[in-house]
Amino acid sequence: MTTICVSAQDNPAKHPLPRITGKQRSWQGRFEAMASPCEILLDGIGRTDAEQLLFHAARETWRLERKFSRYVSGNPIDRINHSNGEPVTVDDELALMLDYAAQCYELSDGRFDITSGVLRRAWRFDGSDRLPEKDKTDALLNLVGWGNLNWQHPQLTLPEGMEIDFGGIGKEYAVDRVLLDLKRLLPEGSSVLVNFGGDLACSGPRTDDKAWIVGMENHRKLTDSSETLSLRGGALATSGDSHRYLLRDGVRYSHILDPRTGWPVPDAPHSVTVAAATCTLAGMLATFAMLQGANAEHFLKEQDVLFRVQRSWIQHSRV
Amino acid sequence: MQLTNSKKNGKPVGRALAAATCALLGVQATDALAKDKPGEWDVETALLVYSEADDRVQAVEPVISATRNYDGDRKLNLKLIADTLTGASPSGATPSDVPQTFTQPSGNGSYDVTAGDAPLDDSFKDTRVALSTSWTAPLDRDYTYSVGAYGSREYDYLSTAVNGSLSRYLNNKNTTLTGGLSLGFDLVDPVGGAPTGLSRMPLKANKTGTQFDQEFADTRETDDTKTLVDALFGVTQVINRRTLMQFNYGVSYSSGYLTDPYKILSVIDDASGANFGGNLIGSDSNPVYLYENRPDTRIKHTLYWQTKYMLENGDVMDGSYRFMVDDWGITSHTVDLKYRWNMDKSYLEPHFRYYLQSEADFYKRYLTATEYNGGTPTLSDASADYRLGDLTGLTFGAKWGYHLDEDHELAIRAEYMIQTNDGDQGFGKLASQDLYPDTSAMWLQLSYSF
Repeated sequence: MTTICVSAQDNPAKHPLPRITGKQRSWQGRFEAMASPCEILLDGIGRTDAEQLLFHAARETWRLERKFSRYVSGNPIDRINHSNGEPVTVDDELALMLDYAAQCYELSDGRFDITSGVLRRAWRFDGSDRLPEKDKTDALLNLVGWGNLNWQHPQLTLPEGMEIDFGGIGKEYAVDRVLLDLKRLLPEGSSVLVNFGGDLACSGPRTDDKAWIVGMENHRKLTDSSETLSLRGGALATSGDSHRYLLRDGVRYSHILDPRTGWPVPDAPHSVTVAAATCTLAGMLATFAMLQGANAEHFLKEQDVLFRVQRSWIQHSRV
Repeated sequence: MQLTNSKKNGKPVGRALAAATCALLGVQATDALAKDKPGEWDVETALLVYSEADDRVQAVEPVISATRNYDGDRKLNLKLIADTLTGASPSGATPSDVPQTFTQPSGNGSYDVTAGDAPLDDSFKDTRVALSTSWTAPLDRDYTYSVGAYGSREYDYLSTAVNGSLSRYLNNKNTTLTGGLSLGFDLVDPVGGAPTGLSRMPLKANKTGTQFDQEFADTRETDDTKTLVDALFGVTQVINRRTLMQFNYGVSYSSGYLTDPYKILSVIDDASGANFGGNLIGSDSNPVYLYENRPDTRIKHTLYWQTKYMLENGDVMDGSYRFMVDDWGITSHTVDLKYRWNMDKSYLEPHFRYYLQSEADFYKRYLTATEYNGGTPTLSDASADYRLGDLTGLTFGAKWGYHLDEDHELAIRAEYMIQTNDGDQGFGKLASQDLYPDTSAMWLQLSYSF
């Protein structure tokens, strides 16, 4: 195992340094970011190249983490969330994210909304039966709604008290971004897979033309058994977390909140996994499906994508 | 109602979402630091204060440089520099056991130098304003070009240049080949006009005003020009994740007026007698000083090798060696070492530089009366400019930088240089003079980038 050196400047969150294992032409790099284990699998290159690519991947991931996290004071998200109603000028990368968020809001009929994070102040999904007062959630709804903010490239004006949060996009976006970067640097005849806590994308099959086999255990605890999945191209992403819910009077309240009501989406699946060309698209389709509640499976069938939906009693899949 | 949500205007939502995702990811990947974010100006400002010991040259130089990134690859840079130089600089004449009087470059007055002191021309004062601009953009995936222009103006000098370069990336951008060419044109318009090379400096003592003016006018030429052509070929190679190496070869050709119009030489009496080793006294009973003269062409070849190495802990070692040789007979070696010690939000970078130079063929600390040959010098070129002599320079310094946040950096750099010259020690009375005083200088630079 070799540790990859990344300067303190490129590792502002002081994560442990990336580590690489492997031999000959097959390498596995690991580091941490966005509260997830991050894994880079590389095929068909030598150790020096592999170390260099892992270095690039960690640096870029940590840059994105720092830029889009809502917990880093002074980053663009923090500046927007503390702008007190004043316009904030954003850079091109963030502008594209905001454009994307606007389209997702529109395409989901307001179900996907990056301003919905404030609802978390009322909801604590700890497995208990403590539901919030309707008054409280209604009051918070005044602070929710993409339609209430003013986004005019490159300026965003967020009404005081509202917040934006890219938690629903950031990790999948980072997977794609890192994969695009690595593909640009990869020599001919090599391949790579990027896996951030179960959201993953690859450049194609392995160099021996076989599928990548990725262990899914521990990341999301989808089931008790440790599972593996195989991937020959494109990306996979999962939305949902079966351990975050409230239970009252026999009704299970998922942590997927509908920003239009301030309450959990009724009959939302435990988790939805979607395969698509990019991780961002797969993740967004999975999130849209969750927001459809009972209609998740129907929604996904209409989209003509491979998916797996897990509910407490049955599994619907088309993989 | 919910069933309609899987389609939007009759099309699956996924189709529209896929298009939106492509737009999001289609942007050119930017894995670079925040500095290279497109769409913003990155501005660097700096103030340099340079001070030579013993009231010699003092300079203040503010710099402002602004870079605009268009899409990460296309960049426009504008740079403005203003310097103010004041103080005295060695004129080239030797110290003497008697007081000396020299005519100022303008011809309008004279300055005196005490016996035993190094003759310094204290009329030295200049303000320079320089503006440069460059544009860098990719031609395609493998080629990047850059074009630029430069202009500077000072009281007695106008300098202009245009340049262009082309870079080719190979091996997944691990190798970069660069070729560049620069063409320059300078106009030299010295105070009081350019003196005729190796003509005698007119001195006012023992003359009427008219006689002196006539003599001064006789040694003047009109303004002059200088052209410069520089070509550079470089290879930058990523050796591994930690090591970067660069080799450059440069050739530079200059022609035209290459002489320093303010530098002179003393003529020393080498006939045996009471004045052996003293200043030669001319027929006007004044000492003889000649204006220097340099060849009107110069070809310089430069080889440069630099290696940067990043240590396990993120510190960076940076070493370079430069070798220069020209057809004036000068060869020089420069070794430059830096170590960047990265701390949490700041860095400290100690710096050491060693410079060794051999003298030009026409470098003469002084001319003898024999070489002066009664006004018909036996040499066509001669200069006593210490910068063309045998010299050794040592520079020690350190830079400390502090990252205020992602985009803002404050840095301070302090350097101390000591330069020693060596050469012909003179004869007779001259041998007791210090012909090669050391030069030392300090500079301090404060910079802020945002």
